[in-house]
Amino acid sequence: MKKTIKVLSIMIVLAISLNMLVGCNVDELRAKYSHATTFKRFSGELEENVTLRVLDNDTALKQGYFDELIEAFNKKYEDKGIVAVDANMDSYSDLANDGPYGYGPDVLYQANDVLMKYATSKHILPLPIEKLDCYGQVSEKAWDAYKTTINSKEYTCGVPVNIQMPMLYYRKDMLPADWQSSWDKNNNEVPDMLESWTEMYAFSKEIRQLDDDKYGYMKSLFDPFFSLGYMLTYGGYIFGEDNSDPSEIGLAAGNAELGIQMIMQLATIMNEEATDDTITLNAYSKMAKGEYFATMTTPDVYSMFINQFAMEKESDGMSKADALKYAEENLLMTTIPTSPLSGDLTDRDGEQIGSKIVGGINGYAISSYTKSPVASLEFVNFATNYDNVMQRNEMLGVVPARLDAVTALGGMELNVYEFLEDGDLVIMPSIEEMAQFWPPMQTFLSDVVMDAFRDENKRKFSTLTLMKEGLNKVSKQIFDAIYTLK
Amino acid sequence: MSTKLSLKSKTKKIGNDVKEKFSKEHMKESFENKKEEVAVKTVYKRDNIKHFFQTANSNVFASMCLMGLGQLMYKQIVKGLIYLSFEILSIVYFVMYGGKAIYNFFTLGLITGDPWLEIAGDNSVVMMLMGILTWFIVVLTIVMYYTNIKDVYNTQIRVLKGGMPEKIGESLAQLADKKFYKTILALPLIGVLIFNVLPIIFMILIAFTDYGGDIVPPELISWVGLENFEKLATLGEIAPTFLKILSWNLLWAFSSTFINYALGLGLAILLNKKCVKGKAIWRGFPILAYAIPGFITLIGFKFMFSVGGPINQIISDAGGDVISFLGIDAKWTARAIGLVVNAWISVPTIMLLTTGILSNMNTDLYEAAEIDGASKRKQFFKITLPFVIFSTTPVLISQFIGNFNNFGIFYFLRGGLTLDGYFLASDTDLLINWLYNLSIDNNYYAIGAAISLVIFIITSAVSLGVYVRSDAYKKEDTFR
Repeated sequence: MKKTIKVLSIMIVLAISLNMLVGCNVDELRAKYSHATTFKRFSGELEENVTLRVLDNDTALKQGYFDELIEAFNKKYEDKGIVAVDANMDSYSDLANDGPYGYGPDVLYQANDVLMKYATSKHILPLPIEKLDCYGQVSEKAWDAYKTTINSKEYTCGVPVNIQMPMLYYRKDMLPADWQSSWDKNNNEVPDMLESWTEMYAFSKEIRQLDDDKYGYMKSLFDPFFSLGYMLTYGGYIFGEDNSDPSEIGLAAGNAELGIQMIMQLATIMNEEATDDTITLNAYSKMAKGEYFATMTTPDVYSMFINQFAMEKESDGMSKADALKYAEENLLMTTIPTSPLSGDLTDRDGEQIGSKIVGGINGYAISSYTKSPVASLEFVNFATNYDNVMQRNEMLGVVPARLDAVTALGGMELNVYEFLEDGDLVIMPSIEEMAQFWPPMQTFLSDVVMDAFRDENKRKFSTLTLMKEGLNKVSKQIFDAIYTLK
Repeated sequence: MSTKLSLKSKTKKIGNDVKEKFSKEHMKESFENKKEEVAVKTVYKRDNIKHFFQTANSNVFASMCLMGLGQLMYKQIVKGLIYLSFEILSIVYFVMYGGKAIYNFFTLGLITGDPWLEIAGDNSVVMMLMGILTWFIVVLTIVMYYTNIKDVYNTQIRVLKGGMPEKIGESLAQLADKKFYKTILALPLIGVLIFNVLPIIFMILIAFTDYGGDIVPPELISWVGLENFEKLATLGEIAPTFLKILSWNLLWAFSSTFINYALGLGLAILLNKKCVKGKAIWRGFPILAYAIPGFITLIGFKFMFSVGGPINQIISDAGGDVISFLGIDAKWTARAIGLVVNAWISVPTIMLLTTGILSNMNTDLYEAAEIDGASKRKQFFKITLPFVIFSTTPVLISQFIGNFNNFGIFYFLRGGLTLDGYFLASDTDLLINWLYNLSIDNNYYAIGAAISLVIFIITSAVSLGVYVRSDAYKKEDTFR
């Protein structure tokens, strides 16, 4: 036994010594590379006769946009033999595990928080973004979503394509007939309930009073992606240092508890279904049936709402074309309403402030394991040019991250872009610690929403102080989830 | 007529054979052979190293120096060459790969990969796997070395006893006859080693590393000893969660196993009654519940008990308040629903099993008990239950393990909650759900592996403990 221990000890000592020796070699190797040479992989000749595997999102594939894109690209680079193909894999392909073994796509299109998880471990390449046509046109805030700092140096690892921001979906045909006289105080031809949460609250109450089976605004309030904005509006934030420092969790900062108060008030115009995802799942059919006046979701599902609404109208006896036309005219999207400065939804005459909302930037990144980095960059450049971004908007309804595109489009697209520029659209943190953020936050919000339906004496968040305490508690939970096992 | 005669003569022949077999002379001869066999075995038993070295001849020593050489000296060419080739292959493997793999197993890599700089780096996970595989090969080499010596020593004894060294044809014939079990079990054994034992060892070893969190490839993993188990037992956030979940897990496993078993047996006894008409139809209903995939049933139940589900619809239509059956505050309600849903899924299995066992019961026992004046209750506890438990103890144990590790129930019914006082878990989560939350949702693989090791120890201790104390084990040959 003693002999075995001796042999093992010698082996471990040898291992450690060798570790140090090899460590020196690695350091030398690293020293060979400087910051400037990081982009060396993009400085070579364009690789010819290569196949690029491109991973785009499901909607782009289903709506036919992706096929058009690669067809146009392949035609342009036919003489070079460069062919882009669908990577044909799950949209949540695991680049970290597959990439090193030669699997996975060359180019990926995903949300910034998903893509940037790969950046920390260098699974996606830092890009020479100045070389791209879209460089000067894309909002600086959108570029920020793809920035990462490694060894005190800043790199950009993705190219923004479109802005994902939750929008307010509403049924125009459910507005009161006299809305211009009774619900347009500022006479700007926009119904008040679409402009402020206080008016939406009042209108929703009115709907409930008139018909027990109908609701005004409905949303699964437990979902942090859509509900965080209420807290951010009143000074809360997710992580410190512009969402890059997970050691500082600012959910309770400022008067964030006012956001909790708003969530609880909104819950009272809904029902217990706001505590889980029932409303989100039912929204398509309930909006189509006219049981909900409004809901909030991302623009990429607009076509699904329209299709459901059109089907409903068809079943009412309309022709297919008329039903579609009616749906498109009456199911509309707009940016989120303003919030009361007091955080009290019954305060209809008080001052209003701009609401904040959490969103994301979808874009392209290039795998570090690609054999054709230059061709991949060429594809990204092609896919993010003005024409293709406009085409993506036309076919998928997404909001471009390019200023020239949104200026040309105007309307809702320009509004969303302005939300981003003004800082009211808070981009989802691009750090992997977000994985530990969602479950505790979701549970907390579910508890908050449930509180609105508890008996008075059983309420956990009956005062603003208790709401603040709740936010502090969930912040600690998130901190513990991130750091306890680090 | 001729057939009759032939049968008669055959019967006579068999009778003579039996007579001969049990004749005094034959018995004596057989006894002498047995004695010789025992003597040889005794030599083996006493063959400590000293005795072995005293009796082994030069051929045996030759095989000790070079595998297969002794066999070659005995002119067992094919066998000798097989052993020799194995040794050469082993040496080549260990020189070219094995030594490095063992070394990597201890270091788990030295070069951190950097995809940006195209430095492939070391993959600690692969190194660990290759290390385990190499340890398997080390063990295999030792086993082969031992069998090589044992084989040549056996040949020496055989020759000393006046026999001839076994020819390859004889050895192969034995593998197809007397040692056929070795031939037939070799492939499954290799499969089990590679596809079952290797991943289990890998999982166990992960529990002794810092794999997870920020330490995932291309970062290098390190050995950390018992650190993860210390965290489970002492870390402020984790230890209370672990104890709370463990106690609920034990309660859940025992109560759900009891409920499922009792209901399944009860249903089987009920449907076994003579007075029940249309038994096949009645038995069909529970089988329907069994036939539907478990997760579909779970999603169905989740919908039924959700705030917008049909049960709440009925309650609100009747003028009552909506109940959040699976919500944050619904600790015991959710646990009770879990037990009910689990019973819904599992009771049919027990019912089917016990129905089969009950149909094999000797009805004379009941008649005798009736005559002796035993009540129905007494008959159940003294006849039916012992018989059914005897036959189903292994199933009962597997039910317990299955329930202890029942991932689906609370994952589907109440997944995604992380409650106050729990670290990344809720008050209905079982250890397996917590393990999932930690290792899959949060990448804390090492601590997850430590938990799975604890689960393994508990379940194996309980199952073994119960099984060796059960009649099914102790009276396997007597209780019929």
